[in-house]
Amino acid sequence: MAWFTDRHCFMLAVTFYGLATIYSVFLWRKGFRRDEWVNYFLLVAGVALHTLAMAKRGMTLHSCPVNNLYEATTFLLWALGLACLVYSLLPRFKFLAAFTAPVLFTIGVFALMPSLDPPHGPKPEFSGALRSIHAATILQSYGAFGLAAVAAGMFLMQRHDLKFHKLRALLSLLPSIQRLEYITFRLVAVGFVLLTIGLAAGSQLPRHAGKPYWSDTKVLWSALLWLAYLEALVAYKKFGRSSRRFAIGVILVFVFLLLTFGITNYYSGLHN
Amino acid sequence: MSVVVIGLSHRSAPVELRERFAFDQSRIPEALAALRAAGLATEATILSTCNRVEIYAATTLAPDAAFVEFKKFLIAHHAYDGALGDELYTIAEPHSLQHLFKVAAGLDSMVIGETEIFGQLKAAYELAFTHKHTGARLNKAFQRAFNVAKHIRTATNIQRGSVSVMSAAVELAEKIFTTLAEHEVLVIGAGETSEKTARALQSRGVQRITVTNRSPERATALAAELAARTVPWEHWPEEFERIDIAISSTAATKAILDRATLEPLMRRRQHRPLLLIDIAVPRDIDPTVSELDNVYLYNVDDLQSIANEYLSLRQEEVARCEQIIAEKVAALLSANRPTAFQVNI
Repeated sequence: MAWFTDRHCFMLAVTFYGLATIYSVFLWRKGFRRDEWVNYFLLVAGVALHTLAMAKRGMTLHSCPVNNLYEATTFLLWALGLACLVYSLLPRFKFLAAFTAPVLFTIGVFALMPSLDPPHGPKPEFSGALRSIHAATILQSYGAFGLAAVAAGMFLMQRHDLKFHKLRALLSLLPSIQRLEYITFRLVAVGFVLLTIGLAAGSQLPRHAGKPYWSDTKVLWSALLWLAYLEALVAYKKFGRSSRRFAIGVILVFVFLLLTFGITNYYSGLHN
Repeated sequence: MSVVVIGLSHRSAPVELRERFAFDQSRIPEALAALRAAGLATEATILSTCNRVEIYAATTLAPDAAFVEFKKFLIAHHAYDGALGDELYTIAEPHSLQHLFKVAAGLDSMVIGETEIFGQLKAAYELAFTHKHTGARLNKAFQRAFNVAKHIRTATNIQRGSVSVMSAAVELAEKIFTTLAEHEVLVIGAGETSEKTARALQSRGVQRITVTNRSPERATALAAELAARTVPWEHWPEEFERIDIAISSTAATKAILDRATLEPLMRRRQHRPLLLIDIAVPRDIDPTVSELDNVYLYNVDDLQSIANEYLSLRQEEVARCEQIIAEKVAALLSANRPTAFQVNI
């Protein structure tokens, strides 16, 4: 089975995410009326294979597999998938899997691009517990932000249907908009805490001599992200920002995160 | 011996005729005993509701002869002296069993898929069973009908959704708020529909209701009915800071709530969602308020169209239900048919 690498395993996981995406389209066309587990179990299979892929890579490296863009992206997706499986167990949240599957599939296909995973030695240049904590918590925070964006998308869809008197709002088995709003807020808050821990851990890691910490692209980008989520949380909780604007903000910041994640990594001296 | 049905329902007879043939519940055992004593039926059950009066009987008579006698019995029992045409329907086996199953599943009801008839049919059967007016044929038929009705309820969407304005309002509230128990309702105008809607919300967990009306006496009377509190008519806008659901049904000739009034109130509510149910005609709430964020406005036409759409969805399910019933009736009839061994004996 030596030919069966971690990348093959991840490819299979992405296939399951793809099947879940196709099934999501079916559920969407049916108006999310049927309460069923098919989509959830497709994601369970995908996340299980995904976990295996990461474990294989981690065991090869003897550390947390977050050393290049492929590994970082798969870690982010894994955190998103796992969080989705846990939150889907909440009452009326089974359809979270249907909304998450397209995100997992799209980013999964992107992560499979060979140029994102250049060959490296058996051991990464930097290692250690602090580095693992830094990378793992930050990528988990991205997972939480991703799931928050998915819940925000569900919120906006339900809100629109209720506002414009679409029968789908009543026929679908989606949660109440109040619950979706609460879950979105909670996920952003959890992501924010994880991001803060990750950034704090990162500030203690060894740096390149002579280069100021704050001049690094990724550090600046992360600080910008941290501020964006802080602003979203404070404006929503303290200054009465409407739930619709909060949801749109959460989605926009996550889209920005996805679109710029690779570029900032590429231009970051500390992360390259 | 076969199972037959004779009766009249909302489909065949007007209410004036149905009430003439309605049985007093306390006199049903006596009527069943009379049916059996006259040799018309070996087993019998009488279902008498506001929408139907039906006799289900297992008889050894030929169906056509039995129907003539049953008709005479009904006319004599109710001392009816008017003309009677197609209002009284008669159904022989196997259609009688199909009819029983359809009635149990609510397919023959005025509101398709309603569940009240299931309880009424069960009560009618239990009354006959307790007084020993049922036997092997009817016991099996009724038990099977109850099982089929339960199966249809779970396997199809025949009972899905709200088919009344009140229940549509409740369903909407549940799609906006996670638990209704935590939210307060303001009833503006002490009309009958607001009362019914408020009661429907109470049945789903709403605990705090405030009533306001131009006439304080009517507000107090409705508040007493709903175990609610009252606020003077002049002060109801101030309540919007606390409440999350408002039901309005006043007799006002122009809107009593508009965007200019609601906008500052929404800011004070910190943009919490607000469900406005306007069941007044002419409308009490200016439709432009729905442009405000977190405001969900439904008027009586919106609610009625939800109810109608649900009803049409139920009608689409009828074919599926009838297919299930046809299969179950066929199974019941083949179980009742004597085997070759029994025939030889």
